[in-house]
Amino acid sequence: MSASTRVEIKPGAYKSDLKPVWCPGCGDFGVLNALYRAMANLQIEPWNTVILSGIGCSSRLPGYVHTYGFNGVHGRALTLATGVKMARPELTVIAVGGDGDGLAIGGNHLIHACRRNLDVTYILMDNEIYGLTKGQVAPTTPTGDKTKSTYWGNPEPAVDPCELAISTGATWVGRGFSGDMKGLTELITGAIDHSGFSFLNCMSPCVTWRGDDEFKRLKAMQKPLPEDHDPSRRANAIAYTREKDVLTTGVLYKVEAPTMVDRVEAIKQQAMGGKPAPSTKEILSTFYPKF
Amino acid sequence: MPTRDLTIAMVGSGGDGIITMGDMLAQAGAAVGLHVMKVEAYGPQIRGGESSCTVRISADPIFAQGDQVQVLVVFNWADFAQFRSEIVTALDAVVLYEATDETPRESIDLGSIESVRWVPVPFIELAKTSAGTTLAKNIVTLGILGELFNLPKEPVERAIRGKFTKKKAEVLEANLKGYVAGIEYAKTIEEHASGKRLQYTPGEPMLLMSGNELSAVAALHAGCRFFAGYPITPSSEVLHFLSQWMPKVGGYLVQTEDELAAIGAVIGGSFAGVKSMTATSGPGLALMTEMLGLAAMAEVPAVIIDVQRGGPSTGLPTKSEQSDLWQALWGSHGDAPRVVLAPADVEDCFHATVAAFNIAEEAQMPVIVLSDQFIAQRRETLSMLTLDHEVVGRQVPSAGDLREYKRYKDTRSGISPMSWPGMKGGEYQTNGLEHGEDGTPSSMHILHEKMNAKRYRKLRLVRDKYSFYRRYGTERADVGIICWGSSKGPVKEAVMRANGRGEKVSAFVPQLLYPFPYHEFTEYLKTVDNVIVMELSYSAQFYKYLRTFLDLPEARTFVFKRSGGRNLTVGEVEDKIRKVLDMSALRGEVLV
Ligand SMILES: Cc1ncc(C[n+]2csc(CCOP(=O)(O)OP(=O)(O)O)c2C)c(N)n1
Ligand code: SF4
Repeated sequence: MSASTRVEIKPGAYKSDLKPVWCPGCGDFGVLNALYRAMANLQIEPWNTVILSGIGCSSRLPGYVHTYGFNGVHGRALTLATGVKMARPELTVIAVGGDGDGLAIGGNHLIHACRRNLDVTYILMDNEIYGLTKGQVAPTTPTGDKTKSTYWGNPEPAVDPCELAISTGATWVGRGFSGDMKGLTELITGAIDHSGFSFLNCMSPCVTWRGDDEFKRLKAMQKPLPEDHDPSRRANAIAYTREKDVLTTGVLYKVEAPTMVDRVEAIKQQAMGGKPAPSTKEILSTFYPKF
Repeated sequence: MPTRDLTIAMVGSGGDGIITMGDMLAQAGAAVGLHVMKVEAYGPQIRGGESSCTVRISADPIFAQGDQVQVLVVFNWADFAQFRSEIVTALDAVVLYEATDETPRESIDLGSIESVRWVPVPFIELAKTSAGTTLAKNIVTLGILGELFNLPKEPVERAIRGKFTKKKAEVLEANLKGYVAGIEYAKTIEEHASGKRLQYTPGEPMLLMSGNELSAVAALHAGCRFFAGYPITPSSEVLHFLSQWMPKVGGYLVQTEDELAAIGAVIGGSFAGVKSMTATSGPGLALMTEMLGLAAMAEVPAVIIDVQRGGPSTGLPTKSEQSDLWQALWGSHGDAPRVVLAPADVEDCFHATVAAFNIAEEAQMPVIVLSDQFIAQRRETLSMLTLDHEVVGRQVPSAGDLREYKRYKDTRSGISPMSWPGMKGGEYQTNGLEHGEDGTPSSMHILHEKMNAKRYRKLRLVRDKYSFYRRYGTERADVGIICWGSSKGPVKEAVMRANGRGEKVSAFVPQLLYPFPYHEFTEYLKTVDNVIVMELSYSAQFYKYLRTFLDLPEARTFVFKRSGGRNLTVGEVEDKIRKVLDMSALRGEVLV
């Protein structure tokens, strides 16, 4: 299909008929709107796109986008995404979910998706709390914070999702803020456009369980990466993500590397050696005595 | 008098080449069209340690492992001691043992070995003098066995050539010398083999395969082009085989980080329109349980092979048991329909696996193939001719359906056409949440009731369309045995023997376990007076399962159940048949 014969898809066209169940003021609205815009930027075809999620407030997102969507089970969005991408490499595959979903119950899958450089975009909506289950501590909750399940204050240190992703092999890592529509749209566009595993940690305040001031607090902390940041340098990226008391936003890390699909595709070519697939009889014949 | 059926067991340490020897014997048998069944057993060591290999070779079709061995080769009595409860010698068996074994046989408790022909053989000495190395001990032994028992000698020689061609010429030469020395030595002890020489007419070569290998080939035959799995004994051969062959047929395979990811990836691949499968054992199926519910709820086809081993927990990883039944049938939160198939022998692994894909695609739900270690890992001879099975695909929406597409349209059969990514107009959102016909989440109880009914209705179609069972024995029977899975082999053999004696005995083996084949069962029960339910599950899972659906004849139903770890033997089955035929006093009791 040539570009000229296509009708341009507007952001609104990606909206599904379903009305979000999110609380008024929830950060996830910002992520959803930025996603519509990013998809329009890239003119992504809804029928060739799959958005998968786990369980949580944020994991409701696939229902609000007019594509193929899969709201799975808690923590397993990336496992489903792995199957979709490996079965149908030509599809655009996006996984989304909360910080509990992706870093606690699903943390192992994140590590391995990064390591494989699976060609999937993963948008983590980080609200530093469990929203859907009404306010328990998350792996991202700052030490000392009182939540429903940390009556005396959170005794545990928080994980830095971006540092985790960089150190386990993701080839595109960014941090965004749902209060920054322009910046977030650019980030999501870049993440989807990237070939390989792109991990976007998006601060997406939970106004209900972390208070109305979250947007203000984060806005005050936000500091875009300097123009001269070289995202191909891992040490720089990690230094920025470790900065205290600021919310560094932008593309922290970006390198080009063979993706999971590239590598298995190469194996397939080698295994097939230009020959047609063997029939069942041919495969069975290899089990005759070998002499 | 010659024999038409011979079971040979070989026992030694890791370096003795026991497994190679068993393999060559089995391949040689297959090469001349004999019926072969080969079972291996190991000690707990990863490498080295004791190992045993039992090869049954017969001129006629065989269905079981052979309870008793007619020929036993022991390189080392200390190793044999580890297997003594598993290897039972027949009366008058030939026992060939290392003449210079430092652990004399008198010094260890040999259990049930008595009344056998003791034949000390200087295996080590023969190997040293003929081949110049003790490593050729197993090859010498092959020569001895071949000559003594009239096994196919020429194919064994070809097997030796095949095995050593890649090595240096001297190595091949040395081994061939060892083989000839074995043959020559056998002539000096041939009086010991009387009555045990195999009589057969050579025929066309046969395939030699394990159930796991056959399941893997079946998946490819069915059109599976994506496999995700995590290694676990005794299922890993499926993963191994497909890692080689899946790319050759243009598919992809991933060894995931755990079984949660494996089933997730299978559901993802299948959602994307590609037939997908995973293979595991009990502990892995336990991890997959949550997402079996997801596949049931989202109505995504998924094929899961569960190769059962002894449990619970890590249990007996290398031994068979039939105790994952309840987990496969009912392991779920919520009401989660699935189909459970149980292959009853190696060949069945082919048909059950292809059928699993057909049913999964047709009924859009998870299908579990409940295999077990005994059929999954033993190798046996098969004919290519019977290995074919019709393949069906998914019902996709028509152009009309896509105009106002409802993924979960409430139809009479319960089956709604399923689109996949790439189909314009087929976009939908699926869910582990309860949802309406268009996929929109809902917690309304009326809708939940309606959609549960829709999902369960699909089982009706499966039950009515797919009738898989085996029935053996007389049309009317005094004793009818009901069993499933690998128990079929010994049961079938025992029933045939009983029929040979004129006893009216039959057996019924369902291969579709769920949805419950009610009609087939009730028809069968009309033909028998007494019933024995047989299974390898301590808590009698199968018997209790039957009782949830069936009225088994009161006071005329007996249960023979025990733990796995040792396969059911023909002798055990015959014993229970005998008891039920003989002793009406036992009515209503649980046999042990
Ligand atoms: C196996 C399992 N355990 C627990 C839950 C309950 N649960 C649902 S969502 C959730 C955490 C939600 O937090 P997060 O992933 O951060 O998403 P958010 O709601 O904040 O967007 C939990 C614990 C579940 N659905 N499944
Ligand atoms: S509970 Fe928090 S995360 Fe969930 S919808 Fe409400 S504001 Fe958003």
